Amino acid sequence: MDARLRRVNKEIADCKNDKTSNIKIDLIDESPFHLKGSFPGPEGTPYQGGHFEVDIVIPESYPFQPVKMKFITKVYHPNISSASGAICLDILKDAWSPVLTLKSTLISLQSLLCSPEPNDPQDAEVAKHYTTSKNSFEETAAYWTHIYAGGPGRSSSAPLKGDGQDEIAIAGLDPAHVSGFEALGFPKGKVIDVLRRLNYRGANAAKITEDRVVQELLK
Amino acid sequence: MSSDYEYSDDENYFDDGDDMDTQEDAETFDEDEDDVMGVDFKTDDKGKRKAYELDYSSFSQSDVEDLMKKDIEYICGIFGVDSGFAALLLRHMAWNKERLVEKYMDNPDKLLVAAGVAAPETPIVPPNRLKSPTASQAGNTRRPTRTGSKLLGFGSKSSGASKSPTISPTISPTSSFSVQPKSPTSSEPFTCPICCDDVPSLKPVALDCGHAYCSNCWTDYISAKVNEEGDLIVRCMGEGCALIAPDSFVHSMLIPDPTAPIGDAEKEEANGNTWKRFQELLVRHFVSSNRDLKYCPYPGCTNTVSCPSAASKLSLTSVVPTVSCGARGIGGQMTQSQQAQGNLGLAGKEHKFCFGCPIDSDHRPVVCGVAKMWLKKCRDDSETANWIKSNTKECSNCQSTIEKNGGCNHMTCKKCKHEFCWVCMGPWSEHGTAWYSCNRYDEKGGIDARDSQSKSRASLERYLHYYNRWANHEQSAKLSLDLYAKTEKKMEDMQITSALTWIEVQFMKKAVEEVDKCRMTLKWTYAMAYYLASGNQKDLFEDNQRDLEKAVEDLSELLEQQIEPEMIPTLRQKVTDKTVYVQKRNEIVLDDTATGFIEGRWKWNVSVDGFDDPENTD
Ligand SMILES: [Zn+2]
Ligand SMILES: [Zn+2]
Ligand SMILES: [Zn+2]
Ligand SMILES: [Zn+2]
Ligand SMILES: [Zn+2]
Ligand SMILES: [Zn+2]
Repeated sequence: MDARLRRVNKEIADCKNDKTSNIKIDLIDESPFHLKGSFPGPEGTPYQGGHFEVDIVIPESYPFQPVKMKFITKVYHPNISSASGAICLDILKDAWSPVLTLKSTLISLQSLLCSPEPNDPQDAEVAKHYTTSKNSFEETAAYWTHIYAGGPGRSSSAPLKGDGQDEIAIAGLDPAHVSGFEALGFPKGKVIDVLRRLNYRGANAAKITEDRVVQELLK
Repeated sequence: MSSDYEYSDDENYFDDGDDMDTQEDAETFDEDEDDVMGVDFKTDDKGKRKAYELDYSSFSQSDVEDLMKKDIEYICGIFGVDSGFAALLLRHMAWNKERLVEKYMDNPDKLLVAAGVAAPETPIVPPNRLKSPTASQAGNTRRPTRTGSKLLGFGSKSSGASKSPTISPTISPTSSFSVQPKSPTSSEPFTCPICCDDVPSLKPVALDCGHAYCSNCWTDYISAKVNEEGDLIVRCMGEGCALIAPDSFVHSMLIPDPTAPIGDAEKEEANGNTWKRFQELLVRHFVSSNRDLKYCPYPGCTNTVSCPSAASKLSLTSVVPTVSCGARGIGGQMTQSQQAQGNLGLAGKEHKFCFGCPIDSDHRPVVCGVAKMWLKKCRDDSETANWIKSNTKECSNCQSTIEKNGGCNHMTCKKCKHEFCWVCMGPWSEHGTAWYSCNRYDEKGGIDARDSQSKSRASLERYLHYYNRWANHEQSAKLSLDLYAKTEKKMEDMQITSALTWIEVQFMKKAVEEVDKCRMTLKWTYAMAYYLASGNQKDLFEDNQRDLEKAVEDLSELLEQQIEPEMIPTLRQKVTDKTVYVQKRNEIVLDDTATGFIEGRWKWNVSVDGFDDPENTD
């Protein structure tokens, strides 16, 4: 049998038999080389209670080349692209070793949720949010966990609207800031966009003059 | 004034002028010496080296391998290590032998670990030096591997062999692993932790660290590294293990023992190619570590050029190090233009490239720094300039669309018969006479511009003047190759229908090659002229440029004529004479420019790295 297929089949079987970890690997279609991994968000983090799914593509030369993984579930995290789910993690690139497995890699992703590396960001805006105002970041991350990963949500976060999604909370912004600039006559969407880009959050908001924001809004 | 040349075409006597400091020419042209085509174009190359030439030599891959071997043997001799380790150490230090010896004397253990020769936790390390690099620091990992990924080494439970205490991580300088891959001795059945295979015949193979995998996995791993990543550093597959496989180990995994072939011809061939590629990577690494050497940039070519006189940055302000690796034509896959040349029956172009910069063609006469500046400007302004490159224009007289189909700039409108210059769209009557003045930009218009808007328009116009001519020569060179293909076909037909010999129809080839070469020179003279500070020197430069351009356009036009069998002897004489003249003009441009660089005669209108800043720009 093809060595890659033998290896992947064994990995999938091992993962099924392992009752101690809560990592799951499922087939997406008939191909054993395109899979879906999933795991619960780690306890004691803003991701707690969420269920995170990862798209897995096994390359031709696996395991000598790293497996390709990206989040299907939207995650608010400095090392994960908030738009595409792309992941910045050393073992998925040059630190890959053929002795690593799908399961061990998924566990690494889980632990990446515990310990962000804002100095080596995938998503620069999220990383800025993380480094300048950690509390606000965690609120946003928890909100994302709630609306995208089925997490419980926090009682302290903004009251939910009818559709359950609040674009201000998704952007990690203070509703008071947004309505302040909206009152100047700018459309809400644009305000959110600019404030998010400028990282107008927490203590950092005090460092950005109103003029600067208006300047950006006028562009 | 005396001329050593004889021309049948009387309007093109070579005019030295008084202002050009040409040396007494040692060259002679023996027109009637022989009928053999090579001799037709003979110029006497013996004698002094020209100012635009420089010494260089070219090496084949095995020549370079010999150089590497010498360095390796030198290190073996000093350290008493085997050649596999010596090679890894040299590679780690970018082949700097002196630094290597220094570092080794300073702290051998640290060096051995960093070079991937020895595993880190060596018992030799005294307690006060316990801060030796960890595996992940020694490796190229961007950040320490997360604890999470360490949790589960695949199948780590099943193989006790990888942690066998009998394998010492220290190395003895004459250890044999680099010659023979190690097979950890173990009586328990071996399951490869990577492919999960456990057939009884499976043999574990490991580097000195003892991380054992089956040889198939090693081979696949090495192939992926070498072929997909172009990486010659084959680290042990063990997670965080920093040992690097010596070349002999790589060899033994790719090229099977002749007594035990793998019996799969396809795989053997693939592995053989991987080994070839690995050897090429080794040579490339050596070459890129050495300032005196440069690898030939032509696809599929494995030659190297050595040019110590152009190795320093400073030297690049006085020489343009155009070199050739010695090979011609194409190895590997062809580009379209290479294919066209192949079809042309040209033996294939020389592998000419610049030793001093990444430009993979001859950019004489202009120095690397200025050439680079010009290319950047062209890239930045490509939007504005794009329309010029287009192959169609409107006749300035009747506005009908005219398509350029040859390299010649003398255009005749099919509709109204208006004759004009493709480059400046001016009437050809002003060009075709002895005074060819399409090359010089009239700065006066720019000086008159007062307000900033017309100033910026003037500066764009000025740029377009040079860019236009630059792009045109490139385009013309391509078109004349196409034209030549057609002509050659026609002449071959004539061989059949007339009494002409093969030799007698070959003169076109040499002429096309010469035109091609000179258009290259002309192209770059416009980049040079764009940045030359105006003044006497620039005027002289543009005089030479104009003379070459006129000569090239004349020859180019001749090549586009309709060919009738009865006029071939005359045509041949004319083309041959013009070719020699063009060649001469090209040498004058190259020689005068090169001499100027050596003498520091050229001044720029912008600041150029390595040159004095312009005195004043307004
Ligand atoms: Zn294996
Ligand atoms: Zn190892
Ligand atoms: Zn070459
Ligand atoms: Zn150059
Ligand atoms: Zn016309
Ligand atoms: Zn013209």
